[in-house]
Amino acid sequence: MSVQVNSMNRGAVRSDLLMTGFDDAVQDAQKVFRKVLKAMSEPGTILTADLTDKTPGALNKSSWEIALTLFDADTKIWLSPTLAGDDAVVSNLRFHCQCPMVSEPAEADFALALADELPELKALNWGNSEYPDQATTLIVQVEAITNQTQDNDEGWCLNGPGIETERGLTVAGLPYSFRRDLVNSRKRFPLGVDCVFCADDQLVALPRSTEIKPSDSEEGIRNTIQQEAN
Amino acid sequence: MSSQLSSQLNKPATQTAGAEGYNFAYLDEQSKRMIRRAMLKAVAIPGYQVPFGGREMPLPHGWGTGGMQLTATVIGEADTLKVIDQGADDTTNAVSIRRFFAKTAGVATTEHTADASLIQTRHRIPERQLRNDQILIYQVPIPEPLRFIEPRETETRKMHALREYGAMQVKLYEDVARFGHIATSYDYPVMVNDRYMMDPSPIPKFDNPKMNQMPALQLFGAGFEKRIYAVPPYTRVVSLDFDDYPFEVQSWEESCSICGSDHSFLDEVIMDDAGNKMFVCSDTDYCRERVEQGFTAENPEGQQGLTPEHNQVQQENKKQDDTKAEEMAL
Repeated sequence: MSVQVNSMNRGAVRSDLLMTGFDDAVQDAQKVFRKVLKAMSEPGTILTADLTDKTPGALNKSSWEIALTLFDADTKIWLSPTLAGDDAVVSNLRFHCQCPMVSEPAEADFALALADELPELKALNWGNSEYPDQATTLIVQVEAITNQTQDNDEGWCLNGPGIETERGLTVAGLPYSFRRDLVNSRKRFPLGVDCVFCADDQLVALPRSTEIKPSDSEEGIRNTIQQEAN
Repeated sequence: MSSQLSSQLNKPATQTAGAEGYNFAYLDEQSKRMIRRAMLKAVAIPGYQVPFGGREMPLPHGWGTGGMQLTATVIGEADTLKVIDQGADDTTNAVSIRRFFAKTAGVATTEHTADASLIQTRHRIPERQLRNDQILIYQVPIPEPLRFIEPRETETRKMHALREYGAMQVKLYEDVARFGHIATSYDYPVMVNDRYMMDPSPIPKFDNPKMNQMPALQLFGAGFEKRIYAVPPYTRVVSLDFDDYPFEVQSWEESCSICGSDHSFLDEVIMDDAGNKMFVCSDTDYCRERVEQGFTAENPEGQQGLTPEHNQVQQENKKQDDTKAEEMAL
């Protein structure tokens, strides 16, 4: 009897690369979830998730902890090329989360990407108007996140649900085209992609309900938006 | 496989307090993850109903299984849980749910609104202003505000997608035509963030204004209908109305027979066969707090009759709140 090997099953779990997950799978997952819930309900709030010492391969602490908390056999995961090619990442996600990996970002429930390997925003699933919740959640590993918006030209001013007045946020190292598309995507609410940006052990969320106003220095995006409006 | 890893695999999932043979807070981890993912989407799309795989809980639907699943998913060892049923901490539903989580999660419970980090509620919002470090979890019987107007889920989905909410205005108009005012007094529909129409669960419309710009996160769970929805903190929540028939909340000529409050939601209690009745605060903790501060039915103003001790209690309460808020902020 011959066994058909599905292409997605290539790269079986390498046990020599496995590492421990949470010390306490139940309590630690709850703690991380509450951070993510806080981040998602109060966009732009930077939280720290520091419950693991080591992470597999190129994953940083907060994205690894989010994976352990939210991924399982029911969630399809898309990994950006470097992560997908990293045996340590794939083996540990398979082992700890049992999550299926997909090669098309549009099929993914969660897309996990490095900042310089982001898929085009429109390549992800934005949900549909009757079930906007079916959209992809995009988790991006970035260099740094800060609420300071001065002295840089990537700053955002955030507004909307979860924000009392307004909140500043700078996510360092995102490509220009992605920032532009994200700002533009707000016009299609309730469709859209919910983003979580992870820098080392810090995380910040930008759900689709948050309005993003590029800082004054971000002339390019402003002009683009202006042109499209005209 | 490293020895560290195998030792982790052989370790019981959790050694924390809780009922033997059950996972922390009753629900299994896979169910919690599913509910957590749905909850995050609910928060990202305020007021939109996210379908989820509602689980069986060890009590019947209609007893708060939706709220309990959310509480079980959110709760952690550090939490302090308060459960209210129609504002009261001491009614059957509230007592049994509070004991359920004390037993299965081993968490601290409280009857004091100010001390709670999680509040599960059936049909009331506490009178005391909630803080940003608190989460309010509603038990919801019917999550779809349009359900009695349009029974088909496929149609109500479309109506939400198209923001086609005229039918609800017609329903409210029929109230005006028949009774001369909007007679809907609970389950009063709201618009969340100017996009989704939402059923606030059967809270009295008296509580609707508290939902607007509330500092606490509000989560809604419908167990039978298997829906989760949410209102993030500081979100615009507006009750539907007409320009010439603006939204109004209930008011009473009477005040509370115990604490003298003339601004809280009052329950009417029949006292005897002769039909004598009294009015008392529906929020038992709020009433208790006021009595401790020296307010009574005879002395509803409190201030004049206040002894130095009463003033002290009041100041200490405030101080406690402030330090708590500071601690949480850290």
